[in-house]
Amino acid sequence: MKQTAEQKAADFVDAEIIPLEKGTLGPHAPAESRPKDSRGVKDYVILPLLFLAVTLLGGLRFGAADNAFLFIKPDLICLVYSAILLLLFVRAGLVRLNSWLDEDFALLRNVANAGILLTLFAASTQVFNSVLPEQGIAFWVVAFFFFWTLWNNLFAEFDARKLLRSVGAMFALAFVAKYLVLANLTAAPADGGWLARIFENPGKETLTWLLDLPRYGRSSGYVQFFALSLFLLGLYLTPARIGEKS
Amino acid sequence: MNRPAKKRILGIETIVSMKEKYIHILSIAIVAAGFVFVAFLYSTEPRSFAEVASKSQVAIGTYEIDRAQFDRGLAAFRADQFVEARAAFDRADPEKRDAAAQFYTAYSLYRQGWGRFSSDDALFKSGVEAVNRVLEIDPNFRSSDTTLSLRSPIELRTELEEGLRITTSDFNPLRFTRERK
Repeated sequence: MKQTAEQKAADFVDAEIIPLEKGTLGPHAPAESRPKDSRGVKDYVILPLLFLAVTLLGGLRFGAADNAFLFIKPDLICLVYSAILLLLFVRAGLVRLNSWLDEDFALLRNVANAGILLTLFAASTQVFNSVLPEQGIAFWVVAFFFFWTLWNNLFAEFDARKLLRSVGAMFALAFVAKYLVLANLTAAPADGGWLARIFENPGKETLTWLLDLPRYGRSSGYVQFFALSLFLLGLYLTPARIGEKS
Repeated sequence: MNRPAKKRILGIETIVSMKEKYIHILSIAIVAAGFVFVAFLYSTEPRSFAEVASKSQVAIGTYEIDRAQFDRGLAAFRADQFVEARAAFDRADPEKRDAAAQFYTAYSLYRQGWGRFSSDDALFKSGVEAVNRVLEIDPNFRSSDTTLSLRSPIELRTELEEGLRITTSDFNPLRFTRERK
């Protein structure tokens, strides 16, 4: 049973091989063929821009009455949570610190890498600022659950992929709690005194008062959804070893 | 024979490291500029894009009042239309950084709140706040407007504070004859 060369090839190859052009980008391109410059631009330009955008937008809310900008500075607890989150990133290998900062690297490279890590820290702080309720009992409840999750994660065995999923799920849940559940329990500001507002909307008015919920414009939720998406995209693009293919 | 090749290789290496260097410098510049911009927004807390522009002008030292609005405010002030005057002064000096605009704002609050028997405390209190802003901006400010009786912020503040205080002279029937300054 001798097979011809063509028959042999047909047993193994069931598709037509299309040679890639030199310099092809995207997921179909072999990693080796991706130009090093595009990785450099992604790591050193796009990543810090993404994280800076999150830093800018994370504390931005809109006034309920006039849609005026309100810049909410992060609480101290957001900085603590952000530090724990960065520690988790390092533990899980999402960021391999020794390939980001090393005494053998040129000073400029170390400073640039430290700058990106700083933007990651600032963006993480602002994401906590974004999804934590500003005050009242809701703040304490959500802050406690954040602490509980982060504390447990500190002692769990993670890889980068699982950590990304866990962080994404944690922030998504907090976003839903704040911008969908609590925002829908908040009474909109109305003309007239507090008595008129209570008669118009007794349930929401009582919950707003009991839970001490701030009244923000609806656009706040949209902006924060965008900021959270940018943050998760930034995390997805963050290389474990900067300047090298991840 | 090997020299030129070596040189060429070295040349390519130099180009690559220069490119990396430029990307690192660009990255540092982006991060630094980004943090300065974010810190500026969170410290000044502008409420609209217009305020972002005016606060940026203050930060870089190019802030100037809107002269047309200021003149409109001055005309309204002289016609005893104090609410319109203050609105125009606010538009002229949204950042409250100009001593003259703030002085006229304080003066309009004094004139509107002044009464022969009693003065409007709320307006006078706002007047004291405005005149304090004048003293913060320029402690040596003196108005060149000869139509005003009170030309320095100290004189105006004394008059406003006098109006807020209740003294025995408030019950003097001769107060009826006093004039607005």
